[in-house]
Amino acid sequence: MSDTAKVSAPPRRRKSASKRRANWFVASFLVLPVALYLILVLSPFAQAFQFSMTNWNGTNPDYKFVGLENFKKLFTSDLYSVYLIPALKHNAIMLIVVPLAVIALALFFAFMLNVGGKSRGGRMRGVGGSAFYKILFFFPQVLSVVMIGILWQAIYRSDEYGLLNALLAIFGVPLKSSGWVSDPSLVLVMVMIVMVWSSVGFYMVYFSSAMASIPAEIYEAAMIDGSSRVQTFFKITLPLLFDSIRTAWIYLGIIALDGFALVFIMTPQQGGPDHGSEVMGGVMYNFFSNGQAAMACAVGVILFFFTLTLMALSMRLTRRENVEL
Amino acid sequence: MATETTPNESGEVSRRSVLKTSAALGMAVPAAGFLAACAGGGSDDKDGVAADNTNAENPFKVDGKKPLEVVVFKGGYGDDYAIAQEALYKAKFPESAIKHAGITDIRAEIGPRFQSKTPPDVLDNSGAQQINHADLANNGQYADLTPLLDAPSIDDPAKKVRDTLLGGVVELGTYNGKFNVLNYGFTLYAIWYSGSLFKEKGWTEPKTWTEMLALCEKIKAAGIAPWTYTGVHPYYLFDVLFTLAARHGGNDVVKNIDNLEANAWKHPSIKLALEAMVSLKTKGYILDGSEGLDHRQSQARFIKKDAAFIPVGSWLENEEKDLLAADPGFDLKCMIVPALDGSTNPNAVWAAPGEGFAVPQDAKNREGGMEYLRIMLSAKGREAFSAKTSSLTVVAGKSEGMPDTPGVRAVQEALKTTASAAYPFKFDEWYANASKGIIRPKLGEVMAGRLSPDEFITIAQKAADDIKADSSIQKQHRN
Repeated sequence: MSDTAKVSAPPRRRKSASKRRANWFVASFLVLPVALYLILVLSPFAQAFQFSMTNWNGTNPDYKFVGLENFKKLFTSDLYSVYLIPALKHNAIMLIVVPLAVIALALFFAFMLNVGGKSRGGRMRGVGGSAFYKILFFFPQVLSVVMIGILWQAIYRSDEYGLLNALLAIFGVPLKSSGWVSDPSLVLVMVMIVMVWSSVGFYMVYFSSAMASIPAEIYEAAMIDGSSRVQTFFKITLPLLFDSIRTAWIYLGIIALDGFALVFIMTPQQGGPDHGSEVMGGVMYNFFSNGQAAMACAVGVILFFFTLTLMALSMRLTRRENVEL
Repeated sequence: MATETTPNESGEVSRRSVLKTSAALGMAVPAAGFLAACAGGGSDDKDGVAADNTNAENPFKVDGKKPLEVVVFKGGYGDDYAIAQEALYKAKFPESAIKHAGITDIRAEIGPRFQSKTPPDVLDNSGAQQINHADLANNGQYADLTPLLDAPSIDDPAKKVRDTLLGGVVELGTYNGKFNVLNYGFTLYAIWYSGSLFKEKGWTEPKTWTEMLALCEKIKAAGIAPWTYTGVHPYYLFDVLFTLAARHGGNDVVKNIDNLEANAWKHPSIKLALEAMVSLKTKGYILDGSEGLDHRQSQARFIKKDAAFIPVGSWLENEEKDLLAADPGFDLKCMIVPALDGSTNPNAVWAAPGEGFAVPQDAKNREGGMEYLRIMLSAKGREAFSAKTSSLTVVAGKSEGMPDTPGVRAVQEALKTTASAAYPFKFDEWYANASKGIIRPKLGEVMAGRLSPDEFITIAQKAADDIKADSSIQKQHRN
């Protein structure tokens, strides 16, 4: 604009008029998506905030405003905190464990499959059979989360018809009578194993493609300098993949904050036993089906701020200069 | 009336349309019907259906041209019975178009329709995804079905519908003084076993808990697990807990829990019942892995004769008819949980009328809805239900259409001695959030041996006291 300001008056008017027309033209393309975003994303958010401060039970049209009462009860009354507190705890644990485990495993696999093998003719290669492993590890990604849940439910089944129990029986391990997902002290670990299993393949492929963009000369130079494979990984691969890892971390954080579908399908009492695998999404569902829709909305609001804080925090903590290749 | 209700516009509209319909038919609203409506409607400003009980053919003055929409829960009973009953309505009102839906997720599909005041005319609000009856009743979203109770029965116009029902049905469906929910299916909670397995091994049905434990020892020695249950749904254990407690200390033990009486959970009979249940676990009488089995898995293990006893409702035979058909010699039998020593009320049984049918207050054809319920309670209606579901209805002493199967015979046999001491249990339905969040999971923990009976009682009593202290939770009461 400051450039055009120096030009004489009439052409400027003409120019800005055509520019304005162009802006309208561009904006007209945005009307539909912006409207959809307003209606389908922002207005439900706003409504959830509104409902969270009422006594709406899901079916009463004449609900009343109750202020912050629901939020207070969610933290202080056992009747409600029995759902929320374990869920907050479990989501926090999952938020740390799941991304760490997935990224570590995915990086390890990607490294092994791309540059972990012997170098042939000066080129880095993956371990033998890496093409096969790539397909194998990626496979869970083509299954829907419902199928994964049902599959693992059959694996974890508590009696001798469970796959895990049957496998252990071959090695003479006696049946664990409290089961796997029906043991409140184990159930969260069991759910996280499934989350990690179903995510590793995708991030392995993601990191593989990021690794492919690292120029081979850097690896060759490192090798000539006598760098070991472990050194190569930590000193070259990892720093150059930082951006991809940060993106993966955010996506995995979102997965860890959800977890609802797996918990819903796999665990007894859908979040149990005795709230041992309760997650925020499940709490919302349970409140809705118990006729506590306003409480469910309040949990949604809490989750909204929880997520927002985490996103802001992770963006701030991981901000740094990009390395130009 | 304690319930706070706001004036309901669509209720006004339907009153007007009722008046209009009556005028069109050239009838004045009869005084008797008007009074009946007032008596049923209570003192709030919602109107009920005006009935003319001198007209046994059509007491609710149904407009035969109006369409009728029926939504039923398609669960253990299926929805074939409803289609058959709808045909009966259609035969009576051939011009009425009937819209039928058999669904499982009542809350997701019908909840929004209550919200927007466009509910169906008849709703079987049941299943895991049901909308709490108490919530809808408290909010005045169910029509008062008192005119139905006072209408003449189809089978015998000299009798009121009220007088044909089993004891407790009216009381159980009454919320805030209004009869809102007709629990139609009759469910008996029992302990099931295989008659042929018992015969083969020379075991006999235990009559007391001591005999039960002695028999369990024999069963275990024979290499079969004495008990299994579904650990995934701990509420199946309510039967064992409350029947043992009601038999030991009287039906008031359960009533006091329902009514949130002080220290109701601390009654000694509750503790004795819990200890008896835990002893099954500690003595090794429970099938390994039962904690993690869902209802179908545990029932399958039971029918495979991996376990001798299983506590389930009387829908078991219908639910597992495929598995039972594969083993025609199974001879399904049931008994009520045998009483503890020193029981004062040894015939107590949890007989629960279930499948709650209601006519929403905002329904377009409430008169038709009530007539439909009256038809359901008639001989033909009952026959349609029993023939398709092998289950009894809440009409006293009637079992038209019941197929003659081992399970059906067993239920009828068990009812002969115990029906007089039947008790209901309502806490789980009235205070669903607390029951699902605290009582059910903690009971599962007790049965798994991870929580002591004393700890359970403390937690349950605290929950009951919390409900009582929370003014936002509407309280119910039964006699």
